[in-house]
Amino acid sequence: MQQREIYQLLKQKYGFDEFRPGQYEVIAALLTHQDVLAVLPTGTGKSLIYQFVGTVMPGLVVVVSPLISLMQDQVARLNYQGEKAVAALTSQVDFGTRQATLNHLAQVKFLFVSPEMLKQTAVLTALQTVKIALFVVDEAHCISTWGPDFRPDYLGLGQLKQQLGQPLTLMLTATATAQVRQDIVTQLQVPTAKQVVYSVNRPNIYLAVEQVSNEAAKRERLQQLVTTVATPAIVYFSSKKQTDLIAEWLRQTTGLRVAAYHAGLSAEDRFKIQQQFMTGQLDVICATSAFGMGINKADIRMVVHYHLPTTLADYVQEIGRAGRDGQQSLAMLLYAPGDEQLVRNLNELTAASTTQIQNDYQRFQHQQTPPDELAAVLQFYWEHQYSVAQVEALFTERQQQKQRELQQLLAYVQTTTCRRATLLAHFGEPKPSHTATCCQSAGSSLPLETLGLQAATKVEQTPITSWETLLDQLFLQKI
Amino acid sequence: MFADYLLLLFATEPRRAKAIYNVCRGRRTVSTLFAGLTYQQLAWLDSWHGVPLAKFEAAAQTLIAAGWLQAPTDGYLALTAAGQAQQAELQQRLYQPVAWQQFRQADVRRFTALSQLALQVVSEYSHQTKRYYPVTTDPGVQATVKRWFRQWRKPMIVTQVVTELHAFLATLAPTQATIFMNSVTGYDFPGQTDQQLATAFKRTPVEILVMRKDLSCQLVAWLRQQPTGPLAALVKPLVKANPVSTSAWQTYQAFQQTADLSQIATQRRLKLSTVREHLLETAILTPGFPFETILTPELLAPLTAVFGESASVATWRFEQVQSVAPTLDFFCFRLYQIMRCQRATA
Repeated sequence: MQQREIYQLLKQKYGFDEFRPGQYEVIAALLTHQDVLAVLPTGTGKSLIYQFVGTVMPGLVVVVSPLISLMQDQVARLNYQGEKAVAALTSQVDFGTRQATLNHLAQVKFLFVSPEMLKQTAVLTALQTVKIALFVVDEAHCISTWGPDFRPDYLGLGQLKQQLGQPLTLMLTATATAQVRQDIVTQLQVPTAKQVVYSVNRPNIYLAVEQVSNEAAKRERLQQLVTTVATPAIVYFSSKKQTDLIAEWLRQTTGLRVAAYHAGLSAEDRFKIQQQFMTGQLDVICATSAFGMGINKADIRMVVHYHLPTTLADYVQEIGRAGRDGQQSLAMLLYAPGDEQLVRNLNELTAASTTQIQNDYQRFQHQQTPPDELAAVLQFYWEHQYSVAQVEALFTERQQQKQRELQQLLAYVQTTTCRRATLLAHFGEPKPSHTATCCQSAGSSLPLETLGLQAATKVEQTPITSWETLLDQLFLQKI
Repeated sequence: MFADYLLLLFATEPRRAKAIYNVCRGRRTVSTLFAGLTYQQLAWLDSWHGVPLAKFEAAAQTLIAAGWLQAPTDGYLALTAAGQAQQAELQQRLYQPVAWQQFRQADVRRFTALSQLALQVVSEYSHQTKRYYPVTTDPGVQATVKRWFRQWRKPMIVTQVVTELHAFLATLAPTQATIFMNSVTGYDFPGQTDQQLATAFKRTPVEILVMRKDLSCQLVAWLRQQPTGPLAALVKPLVKANPVSTSAWQTYQAFQQTADLSQIATQRRLKLSTVREHLLETAILTPGFPFETILTPELLAPLTAVFGESASVATWRFEQVQSVAPTLDFFCFRLYQIMRCQRATA
């Protein structure tokens, strides 16, 4: 396909004249049957790449995706764009529907699937009967960050790909250090893949960190932020309970339109909150990291981290949801002494002691089913003929890695020099020139005026509409 | 709280907790159904489908900790005096479902999913929008609604749907009608979540959930009475032809031809015990079951002699009648219990 034709199709199908940075390069390589690892900043339209290639190449596009909520968002978005032949295989889809999807794979163009679902024999067998145009691993950094001790099926993807006849592969992520990129291509067995790597830097996001003395002070600072800084805003938490509690507290004390969003909500409530946020009916969303991977809202002005993210890569992903319209935005990390303990606790959840690993190997040898999550993870290694010593080494290395990542994160929090330079150095990128709209140095105040990010006039919480009025509004009878 | 609704299902006499949970979860084993019958809770059958057993158990624990429930014997729970007072208070304060028996008669959950998307599709169509995020990405639901919409898409569909909805909503209390419409997803209106409605109406999110489930049931019941419009067409295929499983219904059909259960077993290639289970299930769920076809006067005599005066069916023990009539089997005893329950409520 010639460059001219590619641009014609872009105009005709998506109505754009230009590609976003990196899109063309990746598409052109894929169209010449070259595997690609694309590291493109958040908000550059990564899904357009596989949609575009899917339109041109005959066959099915398989997208391996980590979260159910993300898959649902992606399916809804493709539906929205008029793609009808889209399906997702998740544990939330009932057996009959799943079976029906597998029986009619030839009629599906885009199939979203988790690594755990993909390895099931029924799914694999069905996929072997159709032509796969493109095998996409979305959020490919999960291979490196989640694989070893959380979702080892990510490590099995390379083998599964082989069983599917080594289809053309696209690995997508927004953030990946050189080490993570190496992990991805090794695990997926595509050492010669073309790497298209763009800077993770988002110059229009002002980077701020504020130290507060304790939880109460942090809460108060959050309240100030959401009332004085421009919205819409996302506030990230690491616990569901806090998300609910603080959302309710903010709603009551600020009069802003605030909602909580986390994996504990029903699919219906998640949909409603996302749509309310997308259509400007909410000012602030308090969320766990489950929110936002599939969100495409251009005008988010502020992302606050109430708790520390787990890694700098996650942080870059999460703040990347701000300012996709290119306008000035703000990323604020609130830190109270001891916050890192929460991250350590989370990290320990996936740790395993030598005794635990040895005992679990005994369990496996006695052919007992895995009783808990750790055993389910270890099961993967036993099934793939790893030795106890190998698994021990792997878990130790993973914990050390997590410890290093936490140190890097804390270095960003505590730096007394340019934050952006610290952040970019982590991803092996050169130091940018520091300006007034770059980042907040330790202890200085937020230059909201300079940034043009003062809060606008508050929209009142809308009162409940009567059923008769709603019936008239929702259903126009004169058509 | 979910636990509040659970408390409503207990009484001062001990009840088998797991049976109550399983009635709510829609487990249709004979022992669960029988418990539902004796506790007069069959209306709750399938009302909390998909809720894990652990959630019920955790809720019961909070009720025990609060001093409202106690466990007199293993597996059984009963209201304490304080629990009784709390239950009476909750009965006054909490929203009480009125149409949950629809869960047994139709696939209400499926209807809820279908109607939600159907209303969104019609609303967007009325505003001539083609690009919107569908409220569900479930391919089965999408396919059914697509077929339905194709079949009904005429200029009149919007008016027809509005007419149906308006007529239904007018039968409700205004607050309920408002809650129903505010939770609908449509053009430029994502709909309010249970949490948001709870705040607006000063209820708990669980109450809103119960109310919305009940509103779905009420809509199903209403549409079954007004079967000509497009929404009614969505319900129609979801109404259960008979109250029991297909296999049990076939056994029952055969039973209406012959009372010889062994013959039915041979004919249907089932074990005799399965045939009996099928008949017990049918007897529990079908009004007018011909008990006397099996419970002949000779079989009834010892049962009536032992239990004739006692109304608390759940406390009877099989051993009581066995000592008088050693050849009488458990099936007849259980069938007699069901008969007495049915006739006591009738």
